[in-house]
Amino acid sequence: MTTSASSSIDIKYLTTVGFTADFGGRGFHLPTDLAVRSDGHVFVMSRSSHTATPGLRIGECDIDHEFYGEFGSHGRGEGQFIRPSALAVDSRNHLFAADDELNRITEFDAKNNLVQTWGVTGDAPGQLNGPSGLAFDREGHLLVVDHMNHRVQKFTSNGEYITQFGSQGHRRGQFNYPWGICIGPDGRVYVADWRNDRIQCFAPDGEFVCLFGESGNGEGQFNRPSDVAVGPDGFIYVADWMNQRVQVFDSEWRFQQSLRGQATLSPWATEYLAANADEQRARESFQPVIEVDTDDPHEVSARIESYFWDPVAIEVDEEGRLYVLETNRHRFQVYETRS
Amino acid sequence: MVTSSSVSQTQLISHLLRRAGFGGTREEIDSFVKIGYEATVDHLLDPPTVESMPQDIIRRYHVDQSDLRIQPATGSNWIYRMVTTTAPLQEKIALFWHRVFATGQTKLIQGKVIMTQLQMFRDLGLGNYRDLLLGLSRDPAMLMWLDNQDNHNGAINENYGREILELFSMGVGNYTEKDIYECSRAFTGWTIANEPYNAQKMRNNTARPYGYIGWQFRYDDSDHDHGDKEFLGEKGDLNGEDIVDIICKQRATARFIARHLYHAFVSDELPVPQWPHIGPRDPEAIEIMADAYFKSGYSIGEMLRATFNSDFFKAEAARNARIKSPVEVVVGSLRLAGGYEWPTWDVYDANASCGFMGQSLLAPPSVEGWQGGEDWVSTGSMMQRVNYASKVLGDAERPGVRTMVEELSREVKPGNAAALVDACLERLGYLELEAATRQEIVDFAADQVGGLSGSAGESKNFAAERVVVSILQLAVATREFQMA
Repeated sequence: MTTSASSSIDIKYLTTVGFTADFGGRGFHLPTDLAVRSDGHVFVMSRSSHTATPGLRIGECDIDHEFYGEFGSHGRGEGQFIRPSALAVDSRNHLFAADDELNRITEFDAKNNLVQTWGVTGDAPGQLNGPSGLAFDREGHLLVVDHMNHRVQKFTSNGEYITQFGSQGHRRGQFNYPWGICIGPDGRVYVADWRNDRIQCFAPDGEFVCLFGESGNGEGQFNRPSDVAVGPDGFIYVADWMNQRVQVFDSEWRFQQSLRGQATLSPWATEYLAANADEQRARESFQPVIEVDTDDPHEVSARIESYFWDPVAIEVDEEGRLYVLETNRHRFQVYETRS
Repeated sequence: MVTSSSVSQTQLISHLLRRAGFGGTREEIDSFVKIGYEATVDHLLDPPTVESMPQDIIRRYHVDQSDLRIQPATGSNWIYRMVTTTAPLQEKIALFWHRVFATGQTKLIQGKVIMTQLQMFRDLGLGNYRDLLLGLSRDPAMLMWLDNQDNHNGAINENYGREILELFSMGVGNYTEKDIYECSRAFTGWTIANEPYNAQKMRNNTARPYGYIGWQFRYDDSDHDHGDKEFLGEKGDLNGEDIVDIICKQRATARFIARHLYHAFVSDELPVPQWPHIGPRDPEAIEIMADAYFKSGYSIGEMLRATFNSDFFKAEAARNARIKSPVEVVVGSLRLAGGYEWPTWDVYDANASCGFMGQSLLAPPSVEGWQGGEDWVSTGSMMQRVNYASKVLGDAERPGVRTMVEELSREVKPGNAAALVDACLERLGYLELEAATRQEIVDFAADQVGGLSGSAGESKNFAAERVVVSILQLAVATREFQMA
């Protein structure tokens, strides 16, 4: 972890939730997004691999490592997914899930029952081409990052089109394959402008407010940021995906800290090792952090198990806890933040 | 034998691109003809750009191509690179070393470490052979593949020590069993970080609890045998680096590597186990390549430059004389069809098709890799090869095919069948057919063109496109398209 001398936020590692479960069951497989419900339940969308299609599902758990079950599956039918990309929870505790291949949004109720699906493929207003990020604004409207159309569209929760903003490019207010999205405590909209290596901020009506970031691996620089979250205290967290880290800024974009990850074994992992004595024995001499002979962050993450490896999605809950979801480690790490 | 002077530049450059790459499109061949043959060789060996579909884009859509754990992901990721690269020889040399230094996911389980090895082949595969052999000896995938983690001071495991001599450098007959023993002693202590846990996960074939951990080379001096050794006549406290130095000085090494290069880039050779007993197909060529090895200070790229610029490579007898490997069929077809512009599930089909034809990437059948040559052809694999090429080049939605169809459908008119077929063959990389085969397709085209006005319920444009697609499909279904 690197910290600015003037950092005004304390971030403390709490726990790691997860386990490799590529054919279903307790755990996740190559997850792409998570959403935190007001009751603390965490929903994790596992996209899984091309061949391990049973691994595709939405898992429900909490940060006390309780696993409640899973729903959704691979397929093109109602309630199924091919390339699930994003999750969001509305004020009724309904869960919305996007599929960036099927170009549709699927709604589940608070008991995870299918409510409806909507979405039409295309580039006209209200049509979708690669929905990759979801967030509800303070009016209860669903903002959808329509990434192959390089725009953000606003819908009612029933899929009725309201408005849109953005187009392809690198000027202010333009996007280059945007990905994650969040709503700040002041109602502003933050978008991870993925291939422009920056975060853009908009007023609730879509008016451009500011942008931050440039390409690179220094402080305040990004390499394909995939998601952004803003805490209740206004601090901003960016999933700096290809740099394999999370960068933390204050509300004026002053750099605070960079997190590299410090995962520990979850109880699910511990139970697994207890049931496999040969691996547990072999792990006794395991050095979790080694001196690596590469500068490639992706490769470094592959070699050091506790580091973030493809930190794809981040959330901050109402109590200021930071959740970092890692695709390649099939888990999320939880941090306590205090400003 | 027809000498190189009687062969057109277009034919020669088409030949070069089939061997040093995956075949050229008409546009690529035409542009290289303008700069000339030797400049094309230089371009292939030292490409001005090395670009392919960016990994960030691939990983966003195919999340399994980021952790690269399982074969469909690893093979498909490599297919992307081969299909979209601007430096095809870099991929071809990686494929070459993947065969010679065959390392398989079947044992190692996790694919990422082999993908890292393949990147080393790209980086070093055309350079100095000493660097490459040293890189291989430190490569975690190779160390685990040949059990060098079990090669300890006082308790050697000779697997790597034997194979570096038998399969990776000199070949049987150029060293003794004592040399194998001493070589193995020199490589004691060459292992990977966190070996006990990583090896256990490999043995158990488990990605739990948090996926695989990338392997990293570790030299453990406390486990290295520092005693005196004698290897190929040289004595001392030899370590692995010394062994590699001694190996690279041997004429046998130069000849052995030359014979492998000849097999892959010029003409089919016998299986390696027969090499100690039966000499090379073209001993003079092997000596030319071996001379280039020593003159250049062990450069593989210079061995290839000498090869590509030689008469034995340009000879008519060498052209279209090798059976394409499955990867060459698949990647060559896809490149002709315009390649990939964006991630697509189609890449998994391409990867699987290589396996159906007998060449599952990252899963060679043994430490000797794939023999190739006539081994590629069986009743089943031939059906796969023809069907795959025909499917890809028959898909007018692919950008390259779309362009061909749009350009050539204008040529679909009565009395123009021969010109239409020749234009199709040009666009398939100046595909050369035997006269009788070409005439069969011309007759087919004439018949199709003649029947155009009689097609009910079909627009003339659509019918013309259908004729072009049919000719393309027939052309790639020929024996000639199967050859490189």
